[in-house]
Amino acid sequence: MSFSLAHALTGLFWLGALLLLGGLARRASLWQQGRSASVSWLGLLAMPKRYFVDIHHVVAREPAVARAHVAAAGGGVAILLLSALNYGLMLYQGWLDVLLVLMAVVMLLGARMMQARRLQAPPRLSQGRWQVLPARLRLFALGSLLAAGLLFAGPQLGLAGQLIAVVALLMLALGGAELALGIGLGWPMKHAVAGLLHLAFHPRVERFAGKSSDLKPLNLAAGELGVAKVEDFAWNRLLSFDACVQCGKCEAACPAYAAGQPLNPKKLIQDMVAAQSRGTDPAYAGNPHPGREATVVVKPGEDIVGSVLAAETLWSCTTCRACVENCPMLIEHVDTVVNLRRHVTLSRGEVPGKGSEALANLRNTDTVGGYPLAVRYHWAIDLDLPLLQPGEHTEWLLLAGEGAFDMRYQRALRALVKVLKAAGVNVAVLGAAERDCGDVARRLGDEAGFQRLAQANIATLAQYRFAHIVTPDPHVFHCLANEYPALGGQFDVWHHSKLLEHLLARRAIPLKADATPLPPLTFHDPCYLGRYNDGFNAPRNVLKGIGIKVVDMQRSGRDARCCGWGGGAAFTDIPGQRRIPDMRMDDIRETGTGRVAVACPNCTAMLEGVVGERADVIELAELVVERLA
Amino acid sequence: MKIAVLIAPAVHPVSGRPCAGEADLAALALAQRLSSQVDVWYAGAADDAALADYLARGATHIHTLALAAGREVLSPLAEALQDYALVLCGARAGGGDGSGLLPYQLAEQLGRALLPDVLDLSKSDQQWQALQALPKGVRRTLAAKLPLVASVHARAASAVGWSYARLQQGKIQRKAATGAALPQVVLEPARRARALVAASKVSGHARMQGAIAGGEGKSAGIVVKQGDSVEKAQVVLDYLRQHQLVDF
Repeated sequence: MSFSLAHALTGLFWLGALLLLGGLARRASLWQQGRSASVSWLGLLAMPKRYFVDIHHVVAREPAVARAHVAAAGGGVAILLLSALNYGLMLYQGWLDVLLVLMAVVMLLGARMMQARRLQAPPRLSQGRWQVLPARLRLFALGSLLAAGLLFAGPQLGLAGQLIAVVALLMLALGGAELALGIGLGWPMKHAVAGLLHLAFHPRVERFAGKSSDLKPLNLAAGELGVAKVEDFAWNRLLSFDACVQCGKCEAACPAYAAGQPLNPKKLIQDMVAAQSRGTDPAYAGNPHPGREATVVVKPGEDIVGSVLAAETLWSCTTCRACVENCPMLIEHVDTVVNLRRHVTLSRGEVPGKGSEALANLRNTDTVGGYPLAVRYHWAIDLDLPLLQPGEHTEWLLLAGEGAFDMRYQRALRALVKVLKAAGVNVAVLGAAERDCGDVARRLGDEAGFQRLAQANIATLAQYRFAHIVTPDPHVFHCLANEYPALGGQFDVWHHSKLLEHLLARRAIPLKADATPLPPLTFHDPCYLGRYNDGFNAPRNVLKGIGIKVVDMQRSGRDARCCGWGGGAAFTDIPGQRRIPDMRMDDIRETGTGRVAVACPNCTAMLEGVVGERADVIELAELVVERLA
Repeated sequence: MKIAVLIAPAVHPVSGRPCAGEADLAALALAQRLSSQVDVWYAGAADDAALADYLARGATHIHTLALAAGREVLSPLAEALQDYALVLCGARAGGGDGSGLLPYQLAEQLGRALLPDVLDLSKSDQQWQALQALPKGVRRTLAAKLPLVASVHARAASAVGWSYARLQQGKIQRKAATGAALPQVVLEPARRARALVAASKVSGHARMQGAIAGGEGKSAGIVVKQGDSVEKAQVVLDYLRQHQLVDF
């Protein structure tokens, strides 16, 4: 009896393996629709490290789910490996059956935990096939347990044993179908295969070696104009969409979704899956883009934007990277949004709201707001701020950015210059030679405009001699530090928070001696300083250095909510139920401090633009200048 | 029907860089609404880069009559445009030294009717009807028979958005042309403007009161305090419709 059950298991194993391979081939043919991408096969070797280290960093933020996944997936993989040995290779060793029983118990426990979570599933989780997955996994684990147990202790059981064997095989077949057919039919277990391959062939492979948040330049000369159709994605992007587990962490973190704007990052990725699979996968069973239908109609051959995806969805994104930060499958949502925007902007020229006006201003005046370049440093007229001449040397070059045209932010800039002067820092500015860094152009998809500005700035900066660049604008900072190198501009760029921290640590800033305790305040992390560049500590150290206690908001640091400006969202201004800065102001009110420190001209404008009673918005440098001796 | 559209680079008011003029863009958009055969013409000394904005905004092909700086464009343009039944141009170039006379001179030279400051054109029974923009939002309808010249108002619907792909695909075809020298420009001091005299000496607050308080004054408006927001909005809408400030 045990002999025939063992052979049945061998048959079942190989049948499952064949179905899985067939499914993978089918899925791979979908990925092959995409463009070629330069990937290294060595990625397959790096996969275990990326799985156990990089993914674990994200998953471990939710320990209960992490434990459940370790048990279910670990047990499942162990069962499959042991089965491959014992039954696939027909070793039929009793001690392997003992191990199988143990692993089946582990998997059973994991699946049980997942099922318990599904009983009170948070709304961000997708329903449908995902809801029944834990039960299917339990079935598989139980089948494995019974079969292996039976083979170990079988001969004594007789007729009962045969009955149990039939039941076990049925369970294995039903549960195993979920594993074997997932990748081919787009069922939930697709994520295991696609997810592992995604780790091996990740489109942003440098993120495993350190921070990587820069957008990649388009080769405009080669006619690259962003993504219009599925075929314009690189094949490993298409693969990355299939890795999605629809956990909805992106949805829960997305400020646009919370504001009721028509963007749900999870749905966006699933829209891409629907587009590449031409709607053959099971229907999406999660939350839709707010205010939109959940169903999509895929029209093969048509552009993605306008058929599968509404343009408003695309333009709601603030590129705050909260989704990317939270994605346990390391999917790069922002890259996808910008790639699609590039097509809409570069090919169609359809930028909504004031976005097209901002881009026209950048083309015509090199400023977002359409200001004359000559007035950028008018606020510094009485500050004796040297204008750097070509050939002259300065230690620090200050780039004020677009905030220099905003009368409110000019107060912060004046404070910064006064602090730097008091600290004896050798600082100068470019005056009318400074152009916009191109951040808004790039996030709005105008890659041509960005590259023009970046190359012009790089050529300008090459004429001057300076050791470091300092800027109070995280967007300027990010562009120069992370995105100009790809275009040949290598600069040592500091955000002013880091310079102030450095000066305070060296006691270079003369502070008032009297230690009158200052009231605590809260700090709003700018996305492009925090999540984009891990600049979480410097501004907090500055506040600590001048004796102010920071009461962090519930969503701060890595989880900070965007102010709503980024990605040109303040210009495209897609309507929603609420405004993102209003929600952020609610977060600030919750701390009860009544004051918020900011470190970005755009956060300043967005938070000060909140109507009604609101907290005081104070720039970092303004707080330091108050403490100057 | 083949339509000719005349364009010229505008001067950006802040940076002084060449860019597309609003009125010329509106002329391009109107021509593209009316016909699929639109020829875009430029005569003058500007280089191709100065015309790039028009390519990016939907002009697929620009015919340039290359003239030396300081030469008048009228006669070479008139010669090139003779075969077009309908010629559209912006009411005036955007900034720079433009006199705004070209549409009039061109119509005269071609011996055709001119429809000035057009917002929209439509055809009915061999006649072309134009919606003309007059100051203070007043509109009136003009009619004329082909062939004709129409100058398009800057407030008419603009061309498609700026696109890098269109800029790359667009072509500019240059053809050398000759024109007579422009007459010497004579600069003279501006005449002293007549000082404005207030119609009434009452304060701004009092005049606002007069405008909204109702009662005797003929300029008295209506103050709506009753009703919900929809009813109040209806009053505003009725006012706008009565003064033909909205057309829906």
